[in-house]
Amino acid sequence: MRRVMIKGLLAHKLRLALTAVSVVLGVGFVAGTFVLTDTLAHTFDSLFAEVNGNTDAQIRSTKELSPVNPADANRGPIPDSLLAAVQKVDGVAEAGGYLGGPATIVGKNGKLLGGQAPNFGASASNLGTLSPFKIKEGRAPKGETEVVIDAGTAKREHFALGDEIRIESSLTGSYTLVGTVGFGKQDNLAGAKFALWDVPTTQQVLHRRGEFDTISVRAKEGVSQAEIVDRLRQVLPAGVEAITSDAATAQQADDVKKSLSFFSTFLLAFAAVSLFVGSFIIYNTFTIIVAQRLRELALLRALGASRKQVTRSVLAEGLIVGFFASLVGVGFGVLVAIGLKALFSAVGADLPSTSMVIKPRTVIVPILVGVVITTLSSWGPARKASKVPPVAAIRGAEGIPEGRSLRRRLISGGLVLGVGLLALAGGLFGGGGIGLIGIGALFFYGGVAMLSPLAAGPLARLIGSPGARLGTPGRLGQLNAMRNPRRTSSTAAALMIGLGLVSFVTILAASLKTSFAATLDRSVKADYIVQGPNGGQGKFSRQVALQMSQRQELSIVSAMRFNGEFKLEGETKHEDAVDPYTFGAIMDIDVRKGKLVDFLPGAVLVSDKVAADKGYQLGQRIKMVFPRTGEQLMEIVATYHDDALFSNGYIITLDDFGENAGDDLDSLVLVKRAKGVTDATARAAVAPILQQFPAAELQSQEDFKKQVASQIDGLLLFVVILLLLAVFIALIGIVNTLALSIFERTRELGLLRAVGMGRRQMKRMIRWESVIITILGAVLGLAVGAFFGWAAVSAMGDIGVDRLSFPALRLVLFVVLSGAAGVIAAIFPARRAAKLDVLDAIAHV
Amino acid sequence: MSLDITAADVNHAARAVKVSKIYGEGDAAVRALDSVTVGFPSGRFTAIMGPSGSGKSTLMHCLAGLDVVTSGNVYLGQTDLSSLDDKALTQLRRDQVGFIFQAYNLLPTLTALENITLPLDLAGRKPDQAWLDQVIDTVGLRPRLTHRPTELSGGQQQRVAVARALATRPQIVFADEPTGNLDSRSGAEILTFLEKSVDELGQTIVMVTHDPTAAGYADAAVFLADGHIVDEMEGPTAERVLDRLKTLEA
Repeated sequence: MRRVMIKGLLAHKLRLALTAVSVVLGVGFVAGTFVLTDTLAHTFDSLFAEVNGNTDAQIRSTKELSPVNPADANRGPIPDSLLAAVQKVDGVAEAGGYLGGPATIVGKNGKLLGGQAPNFGASASNLGTLSPFKIKEGRAPKGETEVVIDAGTAKREHFALGDEIRIESSLTGSYTLVGTVGFGKQDNLAGAKFALWDVPTTQQVLHRRGEFDTISVRAKEGVSQAEIVDRLRQVLPAGVEAITSDAATAQQADDVKKSLSFFSTFLLAFAAVSLFVGSFIIYNTFTIIVAQRLRELALLRALGASRKQVTRSVLAEGLIVGFFASLVGVGFGVLVAIGLKALFSAVGADLPSTSMVIKPRTVIVPILVGVVITTLSSWGPARKASKVPPVAAIRGAEGIPEGRSLRRRLISGGLVLGVGLLALAGGLFGGGGIGLIGIGALFFYGGVAMLSPLAAGPLARLIGSPGARLGTPGRLGQLNAMRNPRRTSSTAAALMIGLGLVSFVTILAASLKTSFAATLDRSVKADYIVQGPNGGQGKFSRQVALQMSQRQELSIVSAMRFNGEFKLEGETKHEDAVDPYTFGAIMDIDVRKGKLVDFLPGAVLVSDKVAADKGYQLGQRIKMVFPRTGEQLMEIVATYHDDALFSNGYIITLDDFGENAGDDLDSLVLVKRAKGVTDATARAAVAPILQQFPAAELQSQEDFKKQVASQIDGLLLFVVILLLLAVFIALIGIVNTLALSIFERTRELGLLRAVGMGRRQMKRMIRWESVIITILGAVLGLAVGAFFGWAAVSAMGDIGVDRLSFPALRLVLFVVLSGAAGVIAAIFPARRAAKLDVLDAIAHV
Repeated sequence: MSLDITAADVNHAARAVKVSKIYGEGDAAVRALDSVTVGFPSGRFTAIMGPSGSGKSTLMHCLAGLDVVTSGNVYLGQTDLSSLDDKALTQLRRDQVGFIFQAYNLLPTLTALENITLPLDLAGRKPDQAWLDQVIDTVGLRPRLTHRPTELSGGQQQRVAVARALATRPQIVFADEPTGNLDSRSGAEILTFLEKSVDELGQTIVMVTHDPTAAGYADAAVFLADGHIVDEMEGPTAERVLDRLKTLEA
C-alpha cells in the first residue's frame, strides 16, 4: 500500500506542485510573522540593555500612567530635589536625573522634521557615563541657549556646529548647536530625532520645572545592583521607588513585547486567512485527484485493500505534501519577513534591523499548522475515495451510486451558516470579542461555500451568457463552468474568501469616511482646523491659539487638548479639555441636560452614555484623581449626547487640564473667521504665526475631512495588500483546478480538435471558463463582504459609525479585476490544452 | 480504387503517394507505413483492413491530417496536406472531413443536435437546413435531438456521431472502428446508415475495421500488413474477407 502511494505521489508531481505552493505561501506567512516579531523583540531587548547598560539602578515614580499616545510618559514625575539626597548615599559612584518630552526640530527649510520615529527633547545628563548617549562632535550644552542633537539628524539636515536651530516644544525657541551625540556606535537611536539641553533648560522647554522622569545611579565597585537599591530605598519618599537596572531592562522589554504580540496577532490573522484559502485549494485538488484515480482506487479495492487502507493512503499523501510544503514554507518565511519589513517601511514605520532571529517555535509551529491543515483538508476526499466500490474498476464512473442528495447539502450548509451567524452576532453585539467574530466569520464562509453549488449553476450561466453569445468557444466555456457546480463553486470559493474580506474592508472604510464626514458636518462649525504633525497625532505649542486669538480677522479661536489621564474609583480613565468660553460657539455636541454656560474650572461635562452607566445626576460632584493636582471634586454641569468626537466621555476646562498635563501643548484648535473676512485675508493673517510654529498645520474643514479620508484609505490599502496574498493563493488554486480538469478532459479536447476547433478557439474556451469562475468568486465575495460590512456598521453605531456606504465604483472594479485575473489564470492551462497532440488526446483513456 | 495512381487522377477524394511513417529512431524505429501508395475514389465506401499492427489506423490518421507523414505525400482532393500548417489543417478537418471514432465521439455538455452542428458552429457557419434534415432523418434521430449523450444508448450515440460527420457535407468521412463498441444489431444499423449516405447522399467513406462483417457493407476493401498494402478486393463479402484475413495472419 505504501509503495503504491509513494509511486502515485511521484507520478503526479506536477498535480501536487501547485497545491504545495499554496501551502508554502500560507505557512510562509506564519513563519515570516514569527521571524519578524522575534527579531524585533530581540532588537528591543538588546536596545534596552544598551540603554540601561551603564547604570545599576533606576529611581522613578510608583505612579503608572496609561497614556493613549505611546510617545507620552507612562510614569508620573519625581521631584528633582531628590538628586542631592541620592548622590550622598553610600555606595553611589554617580547619579544623574533625566527628563524627556515631545519636541520637534525644525529643518533648515522651516519645515518640521517629522516622521514616524519619536521626536523628543531631553536632558543631556551624564553623557557618556550614565547615559548611553555619547558626544560625537563638539561638547555638552550649557545654559539656555545651547543644544546638542543626534548625529544622524545633523548629518541628514546638514547642521554644523554653531548653527542656530529652532526647536518646537511646550516652549519654542532657537538654540545654538554646540555638539552632536550618538547612541553607542550608531548615529541615533532607531531613527529617533532628539535634541538635548542641560537640565534646567530642558525643564523649562518642556514646561516641567522641578521634575525629573528618572534618576539613574551607578554603584561603586563591589556594590551589587540589589545592594545599592536597598540603600537607595532608605532615602526615597513615598511614591518613589528604586529598582535594579536589570529589572528595569526586563520590564521595558516586556512592555514592548506586549505591543509586539498585538502586532504579531494582527499579522497572524492575515496568515490564518491565507491558510484558510489554502485549505480550499487542497480540498479541491485532492477531490479531483481522487476522481481521476477512480479506476486505480477501485482496482485496489477489488484486489483486497480495505476501506481504511484506501482512506489512509490518501490522507498520507496529504500529510506528506503538507510536510514537505511546510518545510519549504518555513524557508520562504524568512523572505516574507523581509518583505513585511519593507512594507512597513513604505508606510513610514521604520523597524530597526538586525540579523533574523529564528527560534524553534518558528520552525515547529508553522510546520505543524501546515501539516494539520493539509491533512484535514484531504480528509473529505480521502473518505470519498474509500467509498469507491470495487466494481468501478470495470465500469468506471457508472459504477458509483449517486452522492449525497441536495437536501442533505442544504441542511448541513444551512446549519453551518446558522452557527456562523450566531457567533457573529454574539461577537459583534453581545460583546463576545474579536475571537468570536473570527470564528463566526469562519463558519459563515464555510456555510456559504457549502451552499454555493446550489447557486453556481445558474450564476455561471448568467455570467457566461455574454461569452456564449459571442461564439461556440464561449458557449462551450460556459457549459464547462456549469457542468459540475460543486467543482466550480469550490474553486470559486477560495477567491470568495479573499475578495469577501477585501470588499468588506473597503465598504467599512467607505462607511467610516462617510460617518466621519457626517459627524464633522453636524458638530463642527469651524472654518479652519489646526492640528499637530503626523496627521494630528502630534501636538503643538499653546502659543498658536493664544496668538491667533489676538487677530481681529478671526472671530473664534477655540483650543482643545485630548486624552489626559485620571483615576475614578480606582479605574484609569481619560478626559478631554476644551475652552469653556469659545467651545459652545464653534461646536455642537448636543447638550441635552444642563447648560454650557455653567461650564467653568471645577466643572466637568459627561456624555449621556457615561451618565447612564454610572448613574450620574446633574449637579453631582464626582471625585477625579489627577496625576499632579490629586483628588478633585468636579461638578457635573451638563451632559452631552453626541460623543462621536469626545468618546472619552469626560470633558474638563483647559485650565484644569493644563495643571495636570506633562506638557504645555494643544492637540487641536478650531478657528472661525470674523464676519466679512475672506479666506485669503484670514490665511494671510495667520501665516506668520504658523511660520513661527511649524508643528501647527491649518486646514479648512473640507480639507481636514479629505485628510482624514486619505488616512483611512492609507490604512485600507495596507490591509488590502496583506489580503492580496490570500487572493493570490486563490488564483493559484484556480490555475490548479483548471489544469487538472483539462487533464481530465483530454479525450474530449482531442475530439474538439479533431472536428475542427482551432488552437485559438480552444484557448478562448478555457479562458471563458476561467473568467466565469473568477467572476463567480468575486460576486459571491462581494455579497459576503457587503453582509459583513452591514453587520459591522450596525454594531459600531454607538461609536459614531452610523452610515453604511457602498463605494460602487471600487466594488465594480474588483469584479472587473477578478475577470482580468481569470484571463491570466487561464494562460497556462489554455496553453496546455492547445498544445495537446490530437491523436494522443483521442487515444487517452 | 487502384493501386497505381498518378497526380492526374482527379476522381480520388483522398490519395497517399509513397507514404511512409516511422516512429522512434535508430534501433527502436518502427515502420508503421512503408512507402504506401493508394487512392480512394469519391462516392465510394472503402474499408481498410488488416491485423492489429498492420498500420491501418496510422494510414487513416495520415490521410485525415491528424498525423504527419515521415515521407511521401497525402492529398485530400487536390490539396497536398504537407503544405498546410496547423491552422489550415484544423480548418480542413472542420470543413472538409468528417470523423467517426470508436467511442467518446460526443461532448457530454451538448445536446444531440448541438453535437451534430458542432463543426458548423466552430466554423461560424449556418447549416444547410435541408441537408441537415435529410441527414437527421437518414439516421433516424429526429425524436432524440434535445437529449444529452448520457440519455442516449451506445447505438444512438454513434448515430449522432454519423450525423455530425455528415453535417458539413464533407469531401470525405473517416470512420475508425465505428461499430467496435456496439452490439451486432446497433452495429448493423450504423453500417446501413453509412452505406445509405454513400448510395443516397453521394458521400465518400473510408472505414478502418478488423470486422469482416463490417467490411461486407463496403464497396471495396484494401488489405494492409506490416505497413504495406498487400491486396485489394472489389465487392467484398464477409466470407471472402475472412478468408483473406486468415491468410494474412498466417
